[in-house]
Amino acid sequence: MSDDHSHEHDPLEKGTALRVRALEEILVAKGLVTSEALDTVISHYENNVGPRNGASVVARAWVDADFKARLLADGPDTLASLGFKGFQGEHMRVIENTPDVHNMVVCTLCSCYPWPLLGLPPAWFKSMAYRARAVSEPRAVLADFGVTLPADTSVRVWDSTAEVRYLVMPMRPAGTDALTEAELAALVTRDGMIGTALV
Amino acid sequence: MDGIHDMGGMQGFGPVRPVEEDYKFSADWQRRVFGLTQALAGVTPFNVDEFRREIERIPPADYLNTHYFEKWLIALEWFLQDRGLVSADELAASAKLFDADMAGREPVDGAALIAILGEGVELEFPRETAVPAFAEGAAVRVKPRHDAGHNRSPRYLRGRTGNIVADVGVFQFPDTVAENLGANPQHLYTVSFAAADLWGADAESAGDEVLADLMESYLEPA
Repeated sequence: MSDDHSHEHDPLEKGTALRVRALEEILVAKGLVTSEALDTVISHYENNVGPRNGASVVARAWVDADFKARLLADGPDTLASLGFKGFQGEHMRVIENTPDVHNMVVCTLCSCYPWPLLGLPPAWFKSMAYRARAVSEPRAVLADFGVTLPADTSVRVWDSTAEVRYLVMPMRPAGTDALTEAELAALVTRDGMIGTALV
Repeated sequence: MDGIHDMGGMQGFGPVRPVEEDYKFSADWQRRVFGLTQALAGVTPFNVDEFRREIERIPPADYLNTHYFEKWLIALEWFLQDRGLVSADELAASAKLFDADMAGREPVDGAALIAILGEGVELEFPRETAVPAFAEGAAVRVKPRHDAGHNRSPRYLRGRTGNIVADVGVFQFPDTVAENLGANPQHLYTVSFAAADLWGADAESAGDEVLADLMESYLEPA
């Protein structure tokens, strides 16, 4: 985007879009930001940081019992040792699904999400319906995702009210003993790591 | 504050729509707001709780009708004016009218910004910074409150009793951080609440649980 603000604004750009564009131009003109830095950080979080990070952690835990034990006991240090840390992920904890317990994650107050492991949240995670309902009727919310749990599986909903960011470790699917770690990682979905899908 | 942002347990929002709402950005201006927010954090650090407080102050009817990233924009515009970096006149005129005071501010390029974000921010203190008031396993009640300031104690949990399942460590206190009144470090606890204790007979399954991370100041012995 040009830092020359003398040009005509696109007449098709309306309302908020125009306001954002004007703000960027003002900030660039003042030397507070560069459009290059914006482009880089947007691309970074749209393309480089995403659920493949979390999936690699889950797959490793599935094949390496020692790693899994360390990961569940000390999420922040174990994840940092793999390079997974940073903004909106300063203190991350991994929680394990079992046949008895299904975990899912919400932020009822805003949109807290483990950026270093999952990237930026999808719009539904930030939606009012999800934020409102996940704590009071998680099974009905799961049904919106096409998920039905056995009646004897209890649900734990983790509301990210502080600075801890949660990642759900789905159960390893049956019949995957022969798969490599990389093949296992390919099975792990983003929603599986939020707890709104099974893997 | 008891704002509209505090949505846990509210009804009437309809179904979650995971398919049609499975996107991060739906317009380029949303990308730019996200980028501006991150880029400004590089040159002139601000705290996330202050940012959240500004979003919580959006009047309820506007909050419900304002796009997620427009809320970010509102907070960003407040922040820039509060720090004297941009004026209301500039926002109204869509043009730069004065030079920002760049003393102590170092603009960062993309690579430096990614490095800063990769490091994250300091939120936590050594465990021995504060003596914990509660032990794991203790029954606690979330204090009632009705103050106008920023806090991270959701309404649906206030007055309810749960059990401490973990002492996470010592963290900065959002209520004072949001007002730039200091870190006020204190223990943070993961507290488990039985669904039946929150929703009564309307709980989907009495044995389900909600777990929330609550600052020590939000809790009292049960």
